[in-house]
Amino acid sequence: MMNSKSLVHIENVSKFYGDLKALDNVSLDIHEGETVVIIGPSGSGKSTLLRSINKLETIDAGKVIIDGVDIYDEATDINKVREEVGMVFQSFNVFPHKTVMENLNLAQTVVRKRTAEEATGISKKLLEKVGIFEKADEYPGKLSGGQQQRVAIARALAMTPKIMLFDEPTSALDPEMIGEVLDVMTKLAKEGMTMVVVTHEMGFAREVADRIIFMDHGAVVEQGTPDEFFDHTENDRAKLFLSQIL
Amino acid sequence: MPMSGSAEKPKKVEISEGGAIPKKDDVGLFTAWRVAFVGAISIIIALVYFKPEPYFDIIKFLPDGIYVTFKVTIASILLSLVFGLIAGLGRISQNMFINGIASLYVEIIRGIPLLVQLFYIYFALGKFVKLPAEVCAIIAMSICYGAYMAEIFRAGIDAIPKGQTEAARSLGMTSSQTTKHVILPQAVKTILPPVGNEFIALLKDSSLVSILAVSDLLRRGREYASESFDYFETYTMVALIYLVITLILSKLVGIMEDKISDDE
Repeated sequence: MMNSKSLVHIENVSKFYGDLKALDNVSLDIHEGETVVIIGPSGSGKSTLLRSINKLETIDAGKVIIDGVDIYDEATDINKVREEVGMVFQSFNVFPHKTVMENLNLAQTVVRKRTAEEATGISKKLLEKVGIFEKADEYPGKLSGGQQQRVAIARALAMTPKIMLFDEPTSALDPEMIGEVLDVMTKLAKEGMTMVVVTHEMGFAREVADRIIFMDHGAVVEQGTPDEFFDHTENDRAKLFLSQIL
Repeated sequence: MPMSGSAEKPKKVEISEGGAIPKKDDVGLFTAWRVAFVGAISIIIALVYFKPEPYFDIIKFLPDGIYVTFKVTIASILLSLVFGLIAGLGRISQNMFINGIASLYVEIIRGIPLLVQLFYIYFALGKFVKLPAEVCAIIAMSICYGAYMAEIFRAGIDAIPKGQTEAARSLGMTSSQTTKHVILPQAVKTILPPVGNEFIALLKDSSLVSILAVSDLLRRGREYASESFDYFETYTMVALIYLVITLILSKLVGIMEDKISDDE
């Protein structure tokens, strides 16, 4: 899989909050079809790095190139890039004033300019895929956290993105709902979706990731296959982290 | 995220200048509303019935004024909503220039009494442009209340979690698409009740326009009183009519609020 083309190219990206280095000269390539899981202690810059991939964060130095487009270039229309980059948030962020179906249809019609019928057709398939077809006409307030997060995933997929970003998608969920969300993500990864996932779910990381990125203090400290990382890392900080969580 | 246990914030004191809006769970206010409403109506009827001279004459003379009061109030409300929305969006704009202009508008207008603004637009600016008194009244009230509405809009929009904007933007929606489809529809719910309050406040403040020779309810009363010298009787009637109107309005705003919270 490593010989396929690079979809996300992150080059020497740094970001500061005053004196604090949120991102410290990070370089990383993510290839088509790859599932990359970013792990690390809290405050290590995982989410900041993920959010810089669709310009939800500003950066102070470096470049992020998505499918050949430099997204921090002033001339780039970031909205065009974001159409291709789906994002799932820790806090779901479904639109509470719209039904599940309307949540999925909104950006399809407004941004992708699909007709209502086209959008609804796509939405129905996706709702079936994430297992909440029967909730299509409910408002999100009536759904559980796990269901809302699956709506959010379907909503992002409805844009037919080239890559999906997951920012701690299960951290706000009750334990019994984590599985249903991880199942959907596993299915997506198996289908060949390019995914970047920030998570604390080590089981998921070990099972689904093609590559693990370990971050600490804003820098990529170690990376490798799940086997290399979990069982054979020589890095002291990675070892310490693993000893604390496993 | 709110932490439970540790230092709890004191409850916010919410007192507005609008009429007290009766809600079912506030029994005291609810009863007071009924007493005031039934009382005011009964007194009006009793006065007209038992002492038609001069009360019946007064009440025949006032409807034209009620009409003008409503006309000025409704026109001003609609226009101030437009000003308020524009200025409110300006206040949260990232663009320093737009933000600066909007903030300046809000600060200046809120710092000058409405009565002075009315005088300024009618008499001071009247030196350059002569507009009918009623038009001046509506412009002054709208500009003034627009500034207060702007703060309501700003607060209502600020209250929407940032994640909503991030989710919309991450789907490729532009800033204006996000505002239109995601932020404003949600903000309306929090905005409507205080806007209802402003509506009532504006109706009461509309009595100030009588000073510009606009024949509103108060002005009509004054006209009647200055001819008949029945000052006590006339202003009693005027006060009672204002009271009945604001009580009805506050009831309507209360009903609207309940409707909105039921929809959740």
